[in-house]
Amino acid sequence: MKVSFKYLAKHVDLSEITPEELAAKLTFAGAEVEEVSPFAQGTNLVIGRILSCNPHPDSDHLHVLQVDEGPEFGVHQIVCGAPNAREGLKVIVARNGAKLPGGEIKPSRIRGVESDGMCCSLLELGVDKKYLSEAQCGGIEELPSDAPVGCVDVLGYLGLDDVALDLSILPNRPDLYSFENVCREVSCLLEKPFIGDDLKSQSLTAASFVVGSQTDKCPIFTARVIRGVQTKESPLWMKRMHENCGIRSINNIVDIGNYIMLLTGQPLNMYDLDKLPVPELIVRDDLNEDFLAMDGNRYALEKGDLVVTSGGKPMCLAGVMTADACRVDENTKNIVVEAAYFDGASIRHTSNRIGLSSDSSLRFCKGINPDQMEYVQAKTSESLAAFAGANSIAETVRYDVFAHADRVIETSFSYINGRLGTQFQPEEILRALKRDYLITDVSGDKLSVRVPSYRIDMDGQADITEEVIRILGLDHIKSELPSTRLSVAGLTEKQRKKNDVRRMLRGLGLNEVLTYTLVPEASTLSFRYLSNAKPYRLKNPLTVDRAFVRASLLPSVLESAAFNVARQNKDFGLFEVSDIDARGVQTRYLAGVLVGNRKAQGRIGEKPFDFYDAKGLLENVFEVLEIKPNRYSLVPWTLGGDEMHPGRSAEIRIGKKLVGYLGELHPNALKRFGLKTAVVFEIDFDEVCNVKTGNPKATIPARFPSVSRDLAILLEEKVDYQSLKKEIQKSSALIADVQAFDVYQGKGIPEGKKSLALSLTLSSADHTLKDAEISEAVSKAIQSIKIKFGAEIRGE
Amino acid sequence: MDYIAECETLKNKALEQLETVADDITLAAFFAEFLAKKGSISSLMNHMREIAPTDKAAFGAAVNGARKIVDEAYQEKKAAIEAKKLDQKLAAEAIDITLPGRKEPIGKKNPYYEVIDEVTSIFLTMGYEVAEGRDVETDLFNFELLNVPKDHPSRDMQDTFYIEGDDDLLLRTQTSAAQAHAMLEKNPKGPIKLICPGKAYRRDDDDMTHSHQFAQIEGLVIDKNISMAHLKATLELFAKKMFGEKREIRLRSSYFPFTEPSVEVDVSCFNCGGKGCAMCKGTGWIEILGAGMVNPKVLKACGYDPDEWTGFAFGVGVERVAMLRYGIDDIRRFYANDIRFLEPFAGK
Repeated sequence: MKVSFKYLAKHVDLSEITPEELAAKLTFAGAEVEEVSPFAQGTNLVIGRILSCNPHPDSDHLHVLQVDEGPEFGVHQIVCGAPNAREGLKVIVARNGAKLPGGEIKPSRIRGVESDGMCCSLLELGVDKKYLSEAQCGGIEELPSDAPVGCVDVLGYLGLDDVALDLSILPNRPDLYSFENVCREVSCLLEKPFIGDDLKSQSLTAASFVVGSQTDKCPIFTARVIRGVQTKESPLWMKRMHENCGIRSINNIVDIGNYIMLLTGQPLNMYDLDKLPVPELIVRDDLNEDFLAMDGNRYALEKGDLVVTSGGKPMCLAGVMTADACRVDENTKNIVVEAAYFDGASIRHTSNRIGLSSDSSLRFCKGINPDQMEYVQAKTSESLAAFAGANSIAETVRYDVFAHADRVIETSFSYINGRLGTQFQPEEILRALKRDYLITDVSGDKLSVRVPSYRIDMDGQADITEEVIRILGLDHIKSELPSTRLSVAGLTEKQRKKNDVRRMLRGLGLNEVLTYTLVPEASTLSFRYLSNAKPYRLKNPLTVDRAFVRASLLPSVLESAAFNVARQNKDFGLFEVSDIDARGVQTRYLAGVLVGNRKAQGRIGEKPFDFYDAKGLLENVFEVLEIKPNRYSLVPWTLGGDEMHPGRSAEIRIGKKLVGYLGELHPNALKRFGLKTAVVFEIDFDEVCNVKTGNPKATIPARFPSVSRDLAILLEEKVDYQSLKKEIQKSSALIADVQAFDVYQGKGIPEGKKSLALSLTLSSADHTLKDAEISEAVSKAIQSIKIKFGAEIRGE
Repeated sequence: MDYIAECETLKNKALEQLETVADDITLAAFFAEFLAKKGSISSLMNHMREIAPTDKAAFGAAVNGARKIVDEAYQEKKAAIEAKKLDQKLAAEAIDITLPGRKEPIGKKNPYYEVIDEVTSIFLTMGYEVAEGRDVETDLFNFELLNVPKDHPSRDMQDTFYIEGDDDLLLRTQTSAAQAHAMLEKNPKGPIKLICPGKAYRRDDDDMTHSHQFAQIEGLVIDKNISMAHLKATLELFAKKMFGEKREIRLRSSYFPFTEPSVEVDVSCFNCGGKGCAMCKGTGWIEILGAGMVNPKVLKACGYDPDEWTGFAFGVGVERVAMLRYGIDDIRRFYANDIRFLEPFAGK
């Protein structure tokens, strides 16, 4: 909200403080001033009178003026291009050296003619275009004929000598949507008195008007009938105050309504008395009809909307907009002034629904002072009498069921100091509270604080604490670390495991990425192997692309991969660990993507990422999580679909439960993501972390030497290594390990077959193996795979 | 004793000739000429028959002496030639050490995680626990228990993402939701010291400084006699560890529904040291977090007796800290994950 510095200075002594200094004080006390903006700017200005106006000899639009700038400055020649420059006109002159928002004025020659100074428009003094007429924007400002030539306080003469402080008001201080309360705040912070305007006693006529409310969302409704008003232009100072605060001046009646609202924070509404069906205003919330508002639009009223009615017809959408039927216009003679208390939540609901908000609705939403209706009515009447010719003012008619009560907060000096960690003396605290217009009553350590009605935010002793430190200054708080109690802290096992895996995966070359939780619907349907829980859909998404809470993580990581590929990043790995929330599911996934080549020695010896790179990574993950290979199994892809390559993907299972999957992307999925290659994996990390692991058991290294024998075998392509290995290990107790060291298909190997080179390690725990034993074990192994898989031994 | 003289002459001749030997071939020829069984030194022994018996011992000693000297010189020469050959061989094996090493390139860490990990580790050393919370929260924990009643402006539709088909569910708008969980779920009621790093969501259009998704790190300390002085000291310590030993903090009055008094916390600018620069917009201070004393209403709602317990809470914006610290111009970069952007952040 923009506040007039001029208004503040009229009511609190600000002679020793600049607007910027005041802004800093307010900011530190919690009322942040976002901007300090002068209404208009200009130095070396003077009011002048055009003595003569002749065409420029070398131009078809310029004039050469002789301007009288008063006895002190004399007459100067000015070249001026304004179409409205003419003899006898009184104008604003920016003299030599004048600093204007657009630059500095210097004597110059314009097409060969000397020009000493400039005649200005208000635009050139920095006044916002929206407050100026077309004529004012198109030419120089025309001053009234009685303007004092030679007067140098031009901004003061025009009422433009104001500065607006733009306050960002926090939700707990709705009272600051009132100039009077900002004055109180300033008076408190500067420890200087607030001098309010005197309200003269008014002679009131008897009221013959009825008000009421049929809903508890309007507990207070007051009205005054005022007769004999005339609509006209507002006085200059009032216009300027509005403009300085960003509000366009309309006419005196409307402006007075806004003026009283700015001053007191109480929104007002005005009705043309003679247009009301009956002399009554009743608030209801049960209307269900169309409403023609004064902006010319029709709005559909719904049950629950607060509506001010007369004779059962809607006259105003409460706090939002008046009906066209009873609006005040240039012919209005008699008006009804409404000052009421409407429930903020209700006003907010209506205003959001129909998309209309105003300075009034804003104040109702934030909360208003329920205890100043009579004051507001009196102040409004006074202005209407002074500036709108009101000649008969009826006394206030009032409906009021509000639970008005004095708010008294009980607290103590020790509570305040204890909470703040300060050692303020009682006198210091009392003085601070007094500055803040809080009335205190002391009894020993105890303190009763009476809260003024406009401070609707204050309702507990924590609020008093806040006022004390806000006013005395937060720099009084010293630093003191809390004394430590013995407590068990540190990461939980799950948190530690997560960090271990993240660190390891980065160590293995994968970049740790961060992606959005919100995804389009299509994403919630892809890569849904780990759970079929229903994803959460947003009620109020910003865009369709961010309308669902993701239920799988891999699509997001793939998007990041595609983003990188589109930016010529070729060879990389990405992974993310993220929480997954879906209906009935709260878990955490780990997903990763490998794209392009695995680097070996830079690009020397690089090789495309394949299934086995992902498999190796996941084996490492399980190892870091201390899950032994016999606890989980990789099984061939059975899940179908066209996302994973059916022959180059695997499911990871613990027992029967699917906990993850890995493999190459299906060509169709590659196409959808705009990728050429991708090896991916995703595991239910939470599930995997839940696997119970014990302490590792030490292995005693064998005392007797082991021997190794190599075998080259030829077998059906479809026989998998794991089964072969198991069979060989089963064949003899002496075979301690089997390792494949070459797999080959192609030239020299029959179609449908593969060549596998194996290295068998044989050992015994209790003796050194003899040749005969070794041969026997190897033959047994060969025999078993010949029978089971039809393997042929190469070179046999 | 001519033969002894001859022996001496032969020895000298051999040593002289050895000087000229420079490679395997001449070395082998030298050996054959002097030291082999039929070499000239060994052949001297053929004269033994002609030596008087009394002189035989002296003659034998002279021949053996000569052989020993020549053989030693020969061995020395042989070793020198071998050493030289080895040197030549190794020199020929030299490689280009400037070619790349064979390694897994270390993966980078989105700076978002770097800030979370670092802040977490600072508070872990101060004895805090880490709570996590969920993205999908209930109205109760995100708002109601935190003194944001039903009609509070910040609950308007434009701020919060709500879940369809469930009036009570929403995406948490603040990690403060973890406060309520921690307090409510602590039984029996006792001291709490925790931080909660996590994602939060607001219904904001994405631009350079706004993101519908962002992260916060929430801190909460509950105990008996906790005061604002404790809050200030804690945040001061945090600011120094996070932004450097010379940093100071200052507090400005503010408002959050869940704390009272509430403050904004500024840290002296870590770019200019407080003199004023573009980063701190000339003020010397950078707004870094919001904090305050836990509102007694929140304590009460979460089952803590506000007459017995007090506490403080604070919240840091993760992306904001990262942006200031690493000079990141646009919050959307965190979520785009361009690996060229990630490049400088070698994952610790």
